[in-house]
Amino acid sequence: MSESNKFIFKKYDANASINRRTAIITIAKAGLFSILGARLAYLQIVDKDKYEILSDNNRITHRLIEPQRGIIYDLQGKPLAINRQRYEVVIIREETSDYIKSIENLKNILPDVNIDTEKLYSEIKKTKKFIPIKVLDDLSWDQFSRLNANIHKVDGLYPQIGFKRYYTSGQSHSHIIGYTAPLDKNEKDTNTLADLSSAKSGKLGIEKAKDVSLRGKLGNKNVEVNANGREIRELDRYESIQGKNIQLTIDSDLQDYCYKNLNDQSGCVAVTNIKTGEFYALVSSPSYDPNLFSKSISSEKWNSLTNNIYKPLINKSISSQYPPGSTIKPFVALAALENGVSEKREIYCNGKHEIKDASLESGIKTFHCWKEEGHGNVNMNEALKVSCDVYFYQISREIGINKIAEVCKRFGFGQNVFDSFYEEKKGIVPSKNWKLESIGTPWMVGETLSAGIGQGYFLTTSAQLSLALGQLINGGEKIIPTIVMDKNKDVQKNQKISLNPKHLAIIKKGLEDATNTQGGTSFRSRIPGNLKMAGKTGTSQVRVISSQEREEGLKKNNELPWEKRDHGLFIGYGPINNPQYAVSVIIEHGGSGSGAAAPVASKIFKYLFDNNLNLKSKSISNV
Amino acid sequence: MFSESKAELTIFDKLRSINYFLLFLICTIFFIGTLALYSISNGNFSEWPIKHLQRFILGLIIFFIVALLDLKIIFRFAYLIFIASIAALIILLIVGDEINGAKRWISFAGFSLQPSEFVKYTLILALAKYFHSMEDYHENFISKLFIPSLIVIIPVAFVIIQPDLGTALVIFLGGVSVIWISGLNYKYFISGILGFILSLPILWQYLKEYQKDRVFTFFNPERDPLGNGYHITQSKIALGSGGIFGKGYMEGTQSHLNFLPEMQTDFIFTMFGEEFGFIGSIILILLYMALIGIAIRMALTSKSLFSKFLSLGVCSVFFIYVFVNIGMVTGLLPVVGVPLPFISYGGSSMLAVMFGFGLLTNCYINYNTTLTKGSFI
Repeated sequence: MSESNKFIFKKYDANASINRRTAIITIAKAGLFSILGARLAYLQIVDKDKYEILSDNNRITHRLIEPQRGIIYDLQGKPLAINRQRYEVVIIREETSDYIKSIENLKNILPDVNIDTEKLYSEIKKTKKFIPIKVLDDLSWDQFSRLNANIHKVDGLYPQIGFKRYYTSGQSHSHIIGYTAPLDKNEKDTNTLADLSSAKSGKLGIEKAKDVSLRGKLGNKNVEVNANGREIRELDRYESIQGKNIQLTIDSDLQDYCYKNLNDQSGCVAVTNIKTGEFYALVSSPSYDPNLFSKSISSEKWNSLTNNIYKPLINKSISSQYPPGSTIKPFVALAALENGVSEKREIYCNGKHEIKDASLESGIKTFHCWKEEGHGNVNMNEALKVSCDVYFYQISREIGINKIAEVCKRFGFGQNVFDSFYEEKKGIVPSKNWKLESIGTPWMVGETLSAGIGQGYFLTTSAQLSLALGQLINGGEKIIPTIVMDKNKDVQKNQKISLNPKHLAIIKKGLEDATNTQGGTSFRSRIPGNLKMAGKTGTSQVRVISSQEREEGLKKNNELPWEKRDHGLFIGYGPINNPQYAVSVIIEHGGSGSGAAAPVASKIFKYLFDNNLNLKSKSISNV
Repeated sequence: MFSESKAELTIFDKLRSINYFLLFLICTIFFIGTLALYSISNGNFSEWPIKHLQRFILGLIIFFIVALLDLKIIFRFAYLIFIASIAALIILLIVGDEINGAKRWISFAGFSLQPSEFVKYTLILALAKYFHSMEDYHENFISKLFIPSLIVIIPVAFVIIQPDLGTALVIFLGGVSVIWISGLNYKYFISGILGFILSLPILWQYLKEYQKDRVFTFFNPERDPLGNGYHITQSKIALGSGGIFGKGYMEGTQSHLNFLPEMQTDFIFTMFGEEFGFIGSIILILLYMALIGIAIRMALTSKSLFSKFLSLGVCSVFFIYVFVNIGMVTGLLPVVGVPLPFISYGGSSMLAVMFGFGLLTNCYINYNTTLTKGSFI
């Protein structure tokens, strides 16, 4: 064992030992300092690029800039949907030492607003301290300026300005324009604004149909932020692009007028320019306040809208399907003419038409004319004028359902009128194949009779009716139904719908007589003077009338509960000498077409004759 | 004639004997610290830099008082000073201000002091006196190690329960360095290190949750970038993005945008490295190396063992400060909360370091003074 191992402390040759050990410790210190130097060289030279990127990521944050939504104008260039400044207040917890005091002070400054403090405080506690939380939304300018004047009293609260949609046009336009609301869950992947916390999308009407072009493009900016995410300064900025403005073919005055004349009844109106296909009005009643959805709507309010039997949220002009009733008769008549039935042929109406039906005990099924005592001998003109059901039972039976279906489809029944509305329904044109495919049973002859007077499986919409009538009356010019003006639209005049002018003349005469000669179904609603309208009423049943009921005497519509009354329909055109417009009016459970729908249509035509919409139309330059 | 007068140095002799190059280096590093604090205050001199300057002036006063004292008096009261500092640690546990769950500060007369900062030096005083006075170095008797162990373990234990792991580490390593220089046999060091490693699993159980977290985080800083690892990750980003030449004075984005925590205290080197780059960092490290090198040279001139142990101990403590701090902010060591001397904003550490250099300078001035083996008092 060497000497050095014998002792706990080495024998002190003091200075030599201390010098040696100090040398060791000094070398060790130099070595450790070298390690620090090497470490710094590694961080600051070798890995410099990596840390530079990380440092920039730290300090530079990408912020999005909300685009303004495109403005929606009417035919005359009146703005219908605009963007207003939205005044809101947010709180950032880390910016205040006592957020409860700040909120209390806010209440004192704005005693007229309601703040759900309990909900707010729990949200503040749950949220990261540097994330802004909305305290108040949609303040009035007065409230907003009052708050700004007292901003020193509310630490951590920040007034902000954003955009909100505002509809200037009132209830008459609610359905056609629609509304916007925060994105649905399934939109988050596809909507280009999804990264924006305040993103909204159109939920109905034009707002939904044209959402992609209305929404615009996000802008963005790079800002330098501190570790708390607070903006220090802007480094660069790419402005957002406002959504495309849209001009509708809707004339807001006409739209208002139609809505007013529906007089809160449940129903709808469509007004079409039969030369251009432009829809001047698409009205649904009753309606709702279109600005209701710009704030979050209370469940109470929502329930009262959804539970309302008049279904105010539905755009009835394109989404509600009705049996066309007698308004289909001009098209059935055309099918008959095209299939060899002479307009001069007379059919005797004794008030009913019987067919064999083995499934019934009597072996006979009876189809009644609306006029119990019958019309006597009627030809086609008379049948259209007085709307004789027996006449149409007979000719329908002769030509068959498929011929009727072919003509109806040719003029637009059973197809969407517009290509853009998600909520549009396309109706049903029944035929043998249709029944086999969708119901699975063969066609029965009695169903042809029902279809011949627009009952049974037949379903259509108000927009469809006015388009079909328009394309018939304009002589078979195929028109492209439009609701949004398109300056670049090619005027295609070459597309024709097969139509014999002689047949058209016969039908027009029948419709003119129905309105303008004594005994016609809509004679009471005729417009005197040079400019006249012509048209066909329709009364479609929503219930099956049993034979027992019939024997006990038919109840009048006003004795029945509302939802069992007949729908009242009217389709018309005018002026009869130079037709410009087609109008369809449907009054749900209105009792009858002549009583409920024709008078409304008459007022609308009078308005159209008095106001030349073509002259009012004003092209908007920034569309 | 000289042999008589050398024990009776006048105050002017003493002032003349001070190593002014050492003082110059101290002032240079302090000046860099003031610049750094000025940058962190975003050009506001009245916030941190002014207080830093005031503390430095107070530190200089302490430096001169301690340096000009009679070495014999310091030698005589070495144990008492040590015991007084331990007493302060005990009082601290009773009446100390609790900040972030740790009792580290004691307030009196408007000052807040951190007694543990001074214990680093009083412990060395006590050890130096003990080894100076120890007889029979060759005697094979393990009880010679008993008292030095107590002198180290008692303050370390009190600081650990504050809890302040970083300072305890510096105190412990400072004490060990003095024991090393005093000539303890290598095999005891080796077995001591082995024993420490073997006892780690047991010690681990006594660590607080946050201390365990820090150790985990040290091994994997990206584990939880917004938690414990956040500091060290951001510190590395700041240093690394500084590159060779730095982002420029007062241009450090990480520091000025508050991504760095505690910039003015423990992480000040990060900001310095971000703004002055690799070159600046290396120059600062070289300045520290020069300071320590000169101090070691000064220490070795002393004739008495007490002076040598004391001076070399001061050098070691100073080195440990610098190494642990820079090692910590560069991610080499766990984050343990050790300031960077003369640069970090902090009063106690500044005064304690100046106290230490005062002791060193005193030994240097009195290099020729011989001391008898001392009694307890």
